[in-house]
Amino acid sequence: MKKMRPWKMILSVTMILSLLSACGSQGNGNANAPSTPKEDTTNSATDSATNSATAPDPLGKYPETVTVTEILGYNPPEDPRTPSGITPEQNAYLKDLKEMMNIEVKYKWTVPSAQFEQKFSLAMASGDLPDVIEVDQKNYEKLKKQDMLADLTDAYAQYASPALKAYMDSDGGFAMKTFSAEGKQLGIPAFEDPFLSTQLLWIRQDWLNNLGLQAPKTIDELEKVAQAFTHSDPDQNGKNDTYGIAIQKNLFFWGFDVRGFFNGFGAYPSVGDKQSAWIKGSDDKLLPGLIQPEVKTALGKLQAWYKDGIIDKEFALKDENKAVEDLTAGKVGISYGEWWYPNWPLNSSVDKDPKADWIAIQLPGIDGPAKSLVPKIRSNKIFVVNKKMKNPEAAIKMLNFYIEVGNKKYKDKNKAADGYVYNWFNPRIANPVDIDTIYSEVNKALDANQTEITIDDANYKTVADTFKATKDFLAGDTSNATKGVNWGQYYSRAAKDGGWGLTRQIKENQQFVYNEFYGLPTPTVVEKGGQLDKLMQESFTKIIMGGSLDDFDKFVDSWKALGGNEIIDEVNEWYSTEATK
Amino acid sequence: MKSLKKEFPLHIMLIPGVIVTLIYAYGPMAGLVMAFQQFEPLSGFFKSDFVGLDNFRYVFNLPDFKQVLWNTLVIAIIKMVLSLLVPLILALLLNEITKKWFAGFIQSAIFLPFFLSWTVLGGVIIELFSLNGPINGLISSMGLEPIMFMLDNGWFRGIIIGSDVWKGMGYNMIIMLAAITGINATLYEAAEVDGAGKWKQMLNITLPGIAPIIILLSVLGLGGILNAGFEQILIMYNPTVYAGADIIDTFVYRLGMFSQQFGPAAAVGLFKSIISLFMVSTTYYAAYKFNNYRIF
Repeated sequence: MKKMRPWKMILSVTMILSLLSACGSQGNGNANAPSTPKEDTTNSATDSATNSATAPDPLGKYPETVTVTEILGYNPPEDPRTPSGITPEQNAYLKDLKEMMNIEVKYKWTVPSAQFEQKFSLAMASGDLPDVIEVDQKNYEKLKKQDMLADLTDAYAQYASPALKAYMDSDGGFAMKTFSAEGKQLGIPAFEDPFLSTQLLWIRQDWLNNLGLQAPKTIDELEKVAQAFTHSDPDQNGKNDTYGIAIQKNLFFWGFDVRGFFNGFGAYPSVGDKQSAWIKGSDDKLLPGLIQPEVKTALGKLQAWYKDGIIDKEFALKDENKAVEDLTAGKVGISYGEWWYPNWPLNSSVDKDPKADWIAIQLPGIDGPAKSLVPKIRSNKIFVVNKKMKNPEAAIKMLNFYIEVGNKKYKDKNKAADGYVYNWFNPRIANPVDIDTIYSEVNKALDANQTEITIDDANYKTVADTFKATKDFLAGDTSNATKGVNWGQYYSRAAKDGGWGLTRQIKENQQFVYNEFYGLPTPTVVEKGGQLDKLMQESFTKIIMGGSLDDFDKFVDSWKALGGNEIIDEVNEWYSTEATK
Repeated sequence: MKSLKKEFPLHIMLIPGVIVTLIYAYGPMAGLVMAFQQFEPLSGFFKSDFVGLDNFRYVFNLPDFKQVLWNTLVIAIIKMVLSLLVPLILALLLNEITKKWFAGFIQSAIFLPFFLSWTVLGGVIIELFSLNGPINGLISSMGLEPIMFMLDNGWFRGIIIGSDVWKGMGYNMIIMLAAITGINATLYEAAEVDGAGKWKQMLNITLPGIAPIIILLSVLGLGGILNAGFEQILIMYNPTVYAGADIIDTFVYRLGMFSQQFGPAAAVGLFKSIISLFMVSTTYYAAYKFNNYRIF
């Protein structure tokens, strides 16, 4: 020690101390983090006390700011007129919410929606959850089991606006009941018309014209068309640069997949939720659509098409974004999907190539148009409130807010160009029969040669938007939006032969098959669903790429052995006790 | 005791490092308790039920597990051997280059990919090897059938291993070059006087001179025997190559992140750590026993 100079000693000790204190303050920071929301909620607890003294006002303003924490997985803004570079925090709806109700939204984090599932799993694992959360059924079930959900019964009864209540009652309270337990309302479901999931075939009429072909009604005709699209230069640019049908690595997904293709064979493997769909068997039992023999037939055809180059040789490497790129770049002329394709991405295809003329047709089947698989309820979005939140009614009021701003008096204000990004605002519940309202109101106004939309309720904005786009498209007016954008709105929502128009016909003509299972994921699905999904992806992809078709039988055996048999029992147990038939 | 007194300030200086290690390396080990629990995230460690070894039983009985373990071992071992061998050859070759600027240029060029992230590189490699990519362009210009590299189990493994070795080789090469520089120059002069050529010099002076470093690198490498390169494979793989490229880490990732089975995922992690600890200890002991060589 004697050789040590005093200043050296001091230096080393201060270094250590500063490091120690750095560590220490870090620890404090962590300890503080969870308590911050609590401070907010104590503030707001007094607010709700003062509020409840007066009559609850669904749209009332809090005397003191209430902070609501949220998380968000976001897609790009749908409207191309949205200012570029805008972030979810800058969404103009949040500003208005603050003004109208004195509710301030703070995001704990925001990520592109593709990463949401992972990030949310992490947040669940660390127990770091925000006040208001959008969950799917699986996570709803988890949070419920762990007693994390606030009881919204009173908040809903007192604060829900008449419009919100009307939406929730539109299915006779069926969806609301699904998300309550022991008399407690634990979540507010954003359910939609299940027919929104109806599969259609989107095909380029201009390519058909170029080749002198008819829109296909059967699989055989579709095959001929797809072959011609692949080999006969449908875009007449003199290059062999096109192929038949868009497909991507997720075979059963929310778009650009092959759900509709399988439906054409009377096969109903999945509605795209990473588990099997369930169809009614002969003895009133439910059968998993994923392992039925029709699936094998369909896989055989897909294999042949792969060999022929009708589908992308490297589809197994490509996700939905790559499929969309090919669609908009005019490389592919057929895609299976739902009513909304014109709204995105086909509108970009039209803007890029004004000759592009996409039409919707009913699924080609083995002998004539085929039935589409449709879920019994379509609600994969439930809004729940963290039990720790002191004023759950704020969530209900936010729902009221979003419905309210759809009214006519806000029409000049809420424009995408001014930074209003509707698909970033949560919690957000749209009229469950939204699309159908738009369809009938716009067509009514068109038939009566109106120049303005006359309805005056919360549906005003959506109806008026589509009406304007329709008018502009039919008049060839591109002063407000491009041709593609106008066409997209018109052809997805209002056109009689368009996305929703055709879906309506399919519904009326009973051209659909129900996915009979609509309960929450069974325990074995939660536990082994991931394994089974991997098994399916691997087996099916290999078969399509030229593996032996008999591997399908092996797949069925493994699927059953790895938990499938238990799932069959659980689902049928549910079907005999809980299902409303 | 006297020396302890003399070195006391130095020991004090160690404290920050020790504390950081305690917090970030030893602290999280408490989380290993998850491996023995039916872990429910929101109930936490204290309220989750203990299930003994059920999670291990569950994972080891999963039909994929054997395949995954095998893939991990194959990929990791080949990677490990090559990422010692290739840099060693490079270092020996570079050492013989007399033009300093040229050696420096080559050295930097080899080192460069080390700084790129797999997120970027993965995308580039997928494009390079795609059906319309430059590699297949070359193949078809020679009149051969194009190959779907990324969708073929055999090729895919090769690409995974090759690209990883290529990306990382600069790092080990620099370490070995440094070791070579440290060899006493008089040894070479003496050898030259004795009539040894370049080849003999390399075999009898350079290689023995850097043997300790090679041993050090392999012992450290063996600790990662079950790390076959998570990030890289996650970015580059797809369902068709699961059979050859699904490794323990990607498997755990799917188990934990997508199926939210945290208990089994933690069990696999613990299993991995135990194997690594075992491998490091044995190689270290072997190096000491047979070569009388100690790192610590």
